[in-house]
Amino acid sequence: MPDAIRVEGVCKTFGTRKAVDDISFVLPEGAFLTIFGPNGAGKTTLLSMLSTLSRPSKGTIYICGIDAKEESESVRASIGVVSHSSMLYPDLTAEENLVLYGRLYGVPDVKNRAVNLLDAVGLKHRRLDQVRTFSRGMIQRVSIARALMNDPRVVLFDEPYSGLDPHATQVFDNLISDVRKDRTFVMVSHDLKKGMQLADHVLLMARGRAVCFGRKDKLEPDELNHLYEQTIGGGVA
Amino acid sequence: MSRTTDTPLKVERKHPSSFSQYKVLLTKDLLREVRTKEMLVSMGVYALLVIVVFGVALGFAAPGTDFLEVSGGLLWVMVVFTSLLGLNRSFSVEKECGCLEGLLLAPMDRGVIFLAKATSNLIFLLIVEVIAVPLFWLFFSSVALPAETAPLIALPLLVGSVGIAGVGTLLSTITTNVKGKDVMLALLFIPVVFPLLYACVAATVAVLVGGDVMAESFATPLALAALYDVVMILISWFLYDFVVS
Repeated sequence: MPDAIRVEGVCKTFGTRKAVDDISFVLPEGAFLTIFGPNGAGKTTLLSMLSTLSRPSKGTIYICGIDAKEESESVRASIGVVSHSSMLYPDLTAEENLVLYGRLYGVPDVKNRAVNLLDAVGLKHRRLDQVRTFSRGMIQRVSIARALMNDPRVVLFDEPYSGLDPHATQVFDNLISDVRKDRTFVMVSHDLKKGMQLADHVLLMARGRAVCFGRKDKLEPDELNHLYEQTIGGGVA
Repeated sequence: MSRTTDTPLKVERKHPSSFSQYKVLLTKDLLREVRTKEMLVSMGVYALLVIVVFGVALGFAAPGTDFLEVSGGLLWVMVVFTSLLGLNRSFSVEKECGCLEGLLLAPMDRGVIFLAKATSNLIFLLIVEVIAVPLFWLFFSSVALPAETAPLIALPLLVGSVGIAGVGTLLSTITTNVKGKDVMLALLFIPVVFPLLYACVAATVAVLVGGDVMAESFATPLALAALYDVVMILISWFLYDFVVS
């Protein structure tokens, strides 16, 4: 199976502080990686580099075999990102937002796709309402639909469950299982239970470094729990 | 909640041209403005207030051609400060909900984002000028009447506005993340547009005064201003990727 993501000795430095320090891993196509770690562990910085929004100070990242630094435009065409911010224009409707992003990616029959995705996140009935009238959870659901507009091969989630009520969480889980085939996911999460439930690969980070990385089924749950407790306890960089 | 099959969520993408991406972004800015009228109202009201303040300041000036010689400068003071207000707002919404991040994640040349934003800023500035410049003359018609060449004022206004929108868009992107961005934008913007401002004021005064002044100092400053536009917009376009990265 080809590599979906290959990270080789990646570092990110802000001034004298190393936010990400020598991270390397390989993720096969179709894998679901959950990145755990305490605040300041470097999870979001790593995700930002995977999304090409920031460049590594050192090391190389390949997404679907493409160098993320050299050919960032091609990489961006293959990824979808859900981050802390919604990336949605409050004065545009949910449908207009999705159509806008769809057109930037060259999605054909873009209106139908927007409606299909809004249907998938349970917001078809609100598609003509401006995003500013939506609750936090609804915005998060539209944001997830936005990330899937371009049918990405790699999807990056930064705390996708934040702000979601139980119903929206269920919608999100169903959506992930619907679109999971042939796609690779990287999710940053603080929720060990939820993160483990979806993941088949796990990366535990602390102080910018990888504490452990591997297939979930090859890691002892007790050992992982212990490591997790340890990093949460004293892992702030 | 409705569950869908995998099929409708799959698409075959075709990379869009930069021009179609430019049109999408420009349409988005115009649609947002039609809905919110955020920039046009604030810039229009501000321009009107500047005219009123000038009216008070020049209320005791003696009628005559002396006013025409300073009026070009006054007009450009209004344009520059009004545009600063608009430029400050133009990126605030992009920043507010992480929309700029969303655009930066799209597979497109980042120069397209610059060109679309500069064009929308130019359109908003020109709309405000179309309303504010006749008001300016209406307000001061009792002090002095401009020469017959006055309609040519459209040329320096257009050339100046293009440069202001181009350079201003780059600088407002740079200052978006800076603390005290309003002041910082003004501090960077005015020195950078000073040559453009100087040339445009000269050309504006020339068309308002007319006669010999028109013959001597209209074409050259206008050509220099146009050259400034071309050079600075090209520089801004090339630098934009570096700036947003």
